[in-house]
Amino acid sequence: MGSVEDTRQGIGHISGALTGPDVPAPRRGRRGARPDPVRTVVRTVGEVLITLGVVLLLFVVYEVYVTDWLSAGKQRDATAALDDQWTVGKEDPQRVDHFEGLKEGDGFAKLYIPSFGPDYHFTIVEGTTEKSLEVGPGHYTDTAYPGEPGNFAVAGHRVGKGAPFNDLDLLTSCDSILVETKTSWYVYRVLPMSGEVKNWAQLKTSKPHCNVVGSEGRVQEVDPIPADYTQTVGMEIVKPTDGSVIASIPHKPNAKLAKSSQEPLLTLTTCHPKFSAKQRLIIHARLVDQHPKDRLPANQPPPEMKES
Amino acid sequence: MYGWIWRHLPGPLAVRIGTAVVLVAGVVALLMFVVFPWLEPLLPFNEVTTQ
Repeated sequence: MGSVEDTRQGIGHISGALTGPDVPAPRRGRRGARPDPVRTVVRTVGEVLITLGVVLLLFVVYEVYVTDWLSAGKQRDATAALDDQWTVGKEDPQRVDHFEGLKEGDGFAKLYIPSFGPDYHFTIVEGTTEKSLEVGPGHYTDTAYPGEPGNFAVAGHRVGKGAPFNDLDLLTSCDSILVETKTSWYVYRVLPMSGEVKNWAQLKTSKPHCNVVGSEGRVQEVDPIPADYTQTVGMEIVKPTDGSVIASIPHKPNAKLAKSSQEPLLTLTTCHPKFSAKQRLIIHARLVDQHPKDRLPANQPPPEMKES
Repeated sequence: MYGWIWRHLPGPLAVRIGTAVVLVAGVVALLMFVVFPWLEPLLPFNEVTTQ
């Protein structure tokens, strides 16, 4: 439009010059008359609405892609820092994991879910603040640590921010969830689903990952846990206010059970459904095996990593 | 609004297009790196923790 007007102005100038200096050049052409104010207002309102629509679309792009990209950098830094830390104390004769003194946002373990593919790995950071969760899955500070009796509970984003827990709904019972610490690999397996508990003895024989022979020739039992844990199933969807799912004994925050006799569990929490904060998707898994790193071939992951 | 901005951009057509692209890129960058990061925690899409 602009260029057409320019041309017209140009012609006006030229013709003005040709017909003599006393003919004023039409400075603004056809639009020399004052524009209709109603027209201007309507057009501006339309432009503002279109702009808001574009901004909204950009926000979706930001949430789904840009935050992924920003978080990938933070996750990379956290992983690099953790790798450094693990290399430094490698000759530590004690070979025990130390989790005390962790600060908000510090990476301390790595999470692998072999059924999500060999590329699936995230450094777990301490704390579940918005800032920590931008780095990666975050550990609820007052819950147990990997391998300990009690509930090692971790929250992660479902969409955007690296979306570590995007596909949690695809997990099935007996899928392995591996947690690597400085000294060990802990093997957790997703507990039987609520519909599977009843026929579990029969069901587990048909599932290959329910009868894996682990370290020292022991079968990695994924049976439902009796007594206080009957409400603890592989997957559940709860209200956002239901903090009891991350209790040492899920759904029984007030149960009294000595720490040493508590079952070592892993709980993952994320939002549900996708793009919503209406509910929470919860995965419960139990510790079935542990591979100390010094008993594995150097720098090799445990055999469970090859499950898919 | 956009017509007014376009008429007030200086220079020949190529320069105006260049300036317009830079302006749009600037606004998008402002949204992506300043406005959205500020806005996001105020919206309820990203709550993944219980309690």
